Amino acid sequence: MTSRLTPYLLIAPLLAFIAVFTYIPILTSANLSFREWDFLTDAKPWVGTENYRLVLSSSEFWNSVKVTAIFALISVPLRLVLAIAIASYLVREALPQRLLRGALFLPSVTSTVAIAVVFSWLFATDYGVINAALAWFGLPKVYWLQDPQLALWVIILVNTWKQLGYDIVIYIAGLQAISPDLYDAADVDGGKRFHVFRRVTVPLVMPTTYFLLVISVIEAFQVFTVVDVMTRGGPAGATDMVVNLLYRIGFTLFDIGQGSAIAVLLFVLLIALAVFKARVLGRKVHYEA
Amino acid sequence: MKPEALWSLAALAAGLIFLSPVLYTIWMSFLTVDSYYAGTPVLTLDNYRAAFGEFDFLRYLLNSLLVSGVVTLGGLALAVMAAFAFARFTFPGGDFLFAAVVATLMIPSHITLIPNYLTLAKVGLLDSYAGLILPAISNGFAAFFLRQYIRGIPRALDEAAYMDGARPLQVLWRVIVPLARPAILSMGLYIFITEWNNYIWPLVAISDSDLYTLQIGLAKLYRENPGEDVINWPLVMAASTITILPILIGFLAVERHLVRGITMGAVK
Repeated sequence: MTSRLTPYLLIAPLLAFIAVFTYIPILTSANLSFREWDFLTDAKPWVGTENYRLVLSSSEFWNSVKVTAIFALISVPLRLVLAIAIASYLVREALPQRLLRGALFLPSVTSTVAIAVVFSWLFATDYGVINAALAWFGLPKVYWLQDPQLALWVIILVNTWKQLGYDIVIYIAGLQAISPDLYDAADVDGGKRFHVFRRVTVPLVMPTTYFLLVISVIEAFQVFTVVDVMTRGGPAGATDMVVNLLYRIGFTLFDIGQGSAIAVLLFVLLIALAVFKARVLGRKVHYEA
Repeated sequence: MKPEALWSLAALAAGLIFLSPVLYTIWMSFLTVDSYYAGTPVLTLDNYRAAFGEFDFLRYLLNSLLVSGVVTLGGLALAVMAAFAFARFTFPGGDFLFAAVVATLMIPSHITLIPNYLTLAKVGLLDSYAGLILPAISNGFAAFFLRQYIRGIPRALDEAAYMDGARPLQVLWRVIVPLARPAILSMGLYIFITEWNNYIWPLVAISDSDLYTLQIGLAKLYRENPGEDVINWPLVMAASTITILPILIGFLAVERHLVRGITMGAVK
């Protein structure tokens, strides 16, 4: 009844899609990164490492690496610290905790475009809520998204607001895996709460922290949508992430060679992080939800 | 009892403050433009009429539903079949092929952006529903997750069905799928939401406005400030609400499954 072919036939459709839209494209990207091509001509002359040389010597590329790194360095620790603190209060399965958990989690499943639009309005120079509040206190208007000193902070804030609930849910899963008695004990002994948190909770959820740390960094290097909607990388490149640069070079300048070179560089970095995660963290992490 | 009730109120208040941008967005979408700028609220449905009518959001909504729906059903079908094979059959190359599926979880989508654009251009599928759907169909994570789940279902159940003369696809459909329903539902929600919120691929693959999804339509509407020097914020907020609401409703209806799907799904 079951022929030897059965399992192959069952996995063939999935594998076909993965081959065409994931694995072959990696090879194509690698190949194109060594060629010069503007998408319009037929010829795609081989130029060796020229694209990599151009990318690695362009200030635009290094600016985007710098901006993305700053973004990651600030937003990842910020998210983790807030998330573990909040999660340790929300870990119990009572109604108030569940309600608040739901509210905090909601943005992480909501459309990033819509969130970016809504926050563009909050931070709008004229008629924005934040500036209206400042004006109410007699303070001057702030050019949140037009000031190179400030725009990246707004992007970090929006990203934190969106992703925080996800981090919290993962932390809660990590905390619940430890032992519920711990928190009852901490409740009884109210005065020593912070001590318990620092000496017991934090070390015990370390695997969860490492796990979130690595995936948040991976994610930070793929940020695109918030920036594309809110600032398009501006003002003056102050929020220009690597993927926004990749999109611009590939799909508005149609420099397929250099775009592919950036894609390959990003790919290598992210795969290294992912392998690090799998190797170092692998089994130690519990992420049942 | 009393402190618990206070706690509930405080938690509710904190949640409302946290979600105030979303709640205010919904409120604002019902204000007339003039009343918004004047600061004296006058309620209206005109923003929705305009969004669904002259700004084509009804079409974008249907496009999003169609694309996310097909990606979800197709993605689940492929994933369930593969998961069943990986969970229940031992075959030469099985481990290697499973590793190839799982490895896709590590692969960032941006490496495939330019090549997938070129592939679809070559076969003439840019600016088509197929072009939006096909690259999103394979979901290695769903296959991985469902395989783990199916392995937890007692094999005796399959064997009883085979004894009764069932064929593998019948076992899959009659035994495995019903028993794996919670996992399939979670993965379905995860795939649907991921696809609903997908932005960069439709941005790349679509230039014909008839094929815009909500995300693209909203981003364009916001950027192109219809008509005015000052942005028509209530209209933009109506469009944002249309973009958020289906997920919001789903969230309230099936939070538990959804949280599981998303947390499992984003773990990659």
